[in-house]
Amino acid sequence: MTQWILAGVLGVLFTLGTYLVLRRDVVRVVWGVTIISQSANVYLVTMGGLAGVAPIGRFGEEGAATPTDPLVQALVLTAIVIGFGTTALALVLTYRVYEEHGTIDVYDLGRGLVDGADDADRDRGPVEGGER
Amino acid sequence: MASPVVVAPILVALATAVLTLVTRFDARAQRATSVLGGVAYFAVVAVLFDRVVLSGPTVVPYYVSNWPAPYGITLVADALSAFMLGLAAVVGLAAVVFGSTYVDEFGQRLSYHPLFHFMMAGVSGAFLTGDLFNLFVWFEVMLMSSYVLVLFYSGREHTRAALNYVVLNLLASAVMLVAIGGLYATTGTLNMADMARRLADPAAYGVELAPTLGLASLLLAVFALKAGVVPFHFWVPAAYRAAPAPVTAVLAGVVKKVGVYAIIRLFFTVFAGGAYANTATFAYVGPILALMAGASIVYGGVGAVGRDDVDGLLAFSSVGQVGFIVLPLGVGMAAPDLTVAFAGAERTLAALGVAAALVYAFNHALAKSLLFLASGTLHATVGTTRLDRLGGLAARTPLVAASFLLGGLSLIGVPPLVGFFGKLLVFRTATEAMAGGTPGAGVALAVALGGAVLTIAYVTRAWNAVFWGEPSETVRTVLPERWRGVGAGGDAATDGGTNGGGSDATDRALAVQVTTLVALALCIVGFGVGVEFVVDAAAHAAHAATDTQGYVSAVFDPATQPGGEGGGH
Repeated sequence: MTQWILAGVLGVLFTLGTYLVLRRDVVRVVWGVTIISQSANVYLVTMGGLAGVAPIGRFGEEGAATPTDPLVQALVLTAIVIGFGTTALALVLTYRVYEEHGTIDVYDLGRGLVDGADDADRDRGPVEGGER
Repeated sequence: MASPVVVAPILVALATAVLTLVTRFDARAQRATSVLGGVAYFAVVAVLFDRVVLSGPTVVPYYVSNWPAPYGITLVADALSAFMLGLAAVVGLAAVVFGSTYVDEFGQRLSYHPLFHFMMAGVSGAFLTGDLFNLFVWFEVMLMSSYVLVLFYSGREHTRAALNYVVLNLLASAVMLVAIGGLYATTGTLNMADMARRLADPAAYGVELAPTLGLASLLLAVFALKAGVVPFHFWVPAAYRAAPAPVTAVLAGVVKKVGVYAIIRLFFTVFAGGAYANTATFAYVGPILALMAGASIVYGGVGAVGRDDVDGLLAFSSVGQVGFIVLPLGVGMAAPDLTVAFAGAERTLAALGVAAALVYAFNHALAKSLLFLASGTLHATVGTTRLDRLGGLAARTPLVAASFLLGGLSLIGVPPLVGFFGKLLVFRTATEAMAGGTPGAGVALAVALGGAVLTIAYVTRAWNAVFWGEPSETVRTVLPERWRGVGAGGDAATDGGTNGGGSDATDRALAVQVTTLVALALCIVGFGVGVEFVVDAAAHAAHAATDTQGYVSAVFDPATQPGGEGGGH
């Protein structure tokens, strides 16, 4: 039973994440990316199997002979830490985009990209005020 | 035979990154540390290369914390890893020297050097790891630094490019995680050698093969995004234009190749043995990869011809050139067992395809990083890279012009430069496949030829517009006469444009940059004249990549495995 519920939850999470990633608002896009990476984590945990007991030295008790695979939980811990860092960066980046462009609408940003291609000179060098 | 020299590149890069953080209050010490770190990295990679390739090609595993193979993380250095590390070391050293004069003082102190070396650590880890999840972790180390480096100047264009780059790569990371989890569930292992062993003999290990095909396709999409192959290319031009020139050189020269490396390692070494419904993995993936490569060649070539600035042209060219790298891989997969005589032995077409991809990747790494660095120098001297504002620079900066020309000619593939031999091998792979009656190989050959013509077109266009003809208005204002470098005194006229007050310091900085360019150009000529070295190394690497059995037995060699039960700590 558990696996059916989890499969359903994963489906809903991935759908929700994809829906948000396709929004125009950059903040929603970042939320979408976060939800997708979290659902990848949940998916990863389910890959270790759901039937076993907790893998902490109680093998053979509680009627289950095999413990759940602990490796996937270690993987997920690593993935969560990485996801935390990247999400923080993405949020700060969103704020910087708002500061630079005055908008977080993906369409507006994209339109600027087309116009910007003909801008006099992209500041490839340090930004204004920076020391040379 | 397990040897700590395998981890050395990662450790050197990490140590350098930390030391540049410690020394950041003294700009000179930090620069010195950073450059010395680049030199040390080069030296360590040379030792590893000697150990793994030159003194008889071997596969050297390293068991982290002495845990035996399928349980702990295994690092594996074989000829393929060593070849890619060599490429990273050459480009990395050039970029770190160039960057120490190109990036402004404040930026260097703030974050440039540590980030650069963390990125190199991520790249080295990705090349060396023998564990699928560990590959994901090193990808993230590399990407995290590259996010910040793309965002380095934090202007309008940079934030937008970085947003694009970050969101796409975060999605790719999630997809990669899903694929890795699925592969773990179906094969029961994360160790690449173990996985290869299980996929080659699914019945013995109780592996169900059908799901792994879909999971492998997910991984292919992720790696194609890292490599910037069409249809996953759209982050490339903006990100390459936003990052500082030395970073772009590494992004295009090395980070892109990590995607290519991952495709080779996983599909030629790990998944090669697998078959689904009596059809080999290769037969599914090969045509798709060849199609993507062909699309990249055409898209990148046409895009580059139409750009009006050097950076944009080079960025689109990167998309096209990576197509040339991936094309022989796809063609090689389409007829993997065809035997061809190559590098003094009978080899399979798959091995020839990998060798062609590697030689081409080496050429692209040298030539494209040289061109991006030259574009950076143009920005530092003239203040623009727009084609319609430049012109006649050949007379003002002859060394930059000569280096640019050599890089461009190598991209085109003019003998005796490395690029010629890379293109030759790519064409050879396609013609051999065609001779062997592989359907579609003729189309691949035609696309490659068309792409070569497009390369000639855009390189000629860039050269003509930037260096040839009469000096343009901008060039006349900024560089009234020939730039003579250090000691030329006040008339050296570097005091215009964005340089804000020419001085001995800017002159010295430019001298270092030009020296780097010339050194890279000499590398292109040198490796072209002594191309046997490169081709032999690539042939060894290709053999290592396609020799799944050798890889597996080296990792599980009982003589090298750390002591049986449980291992040490």
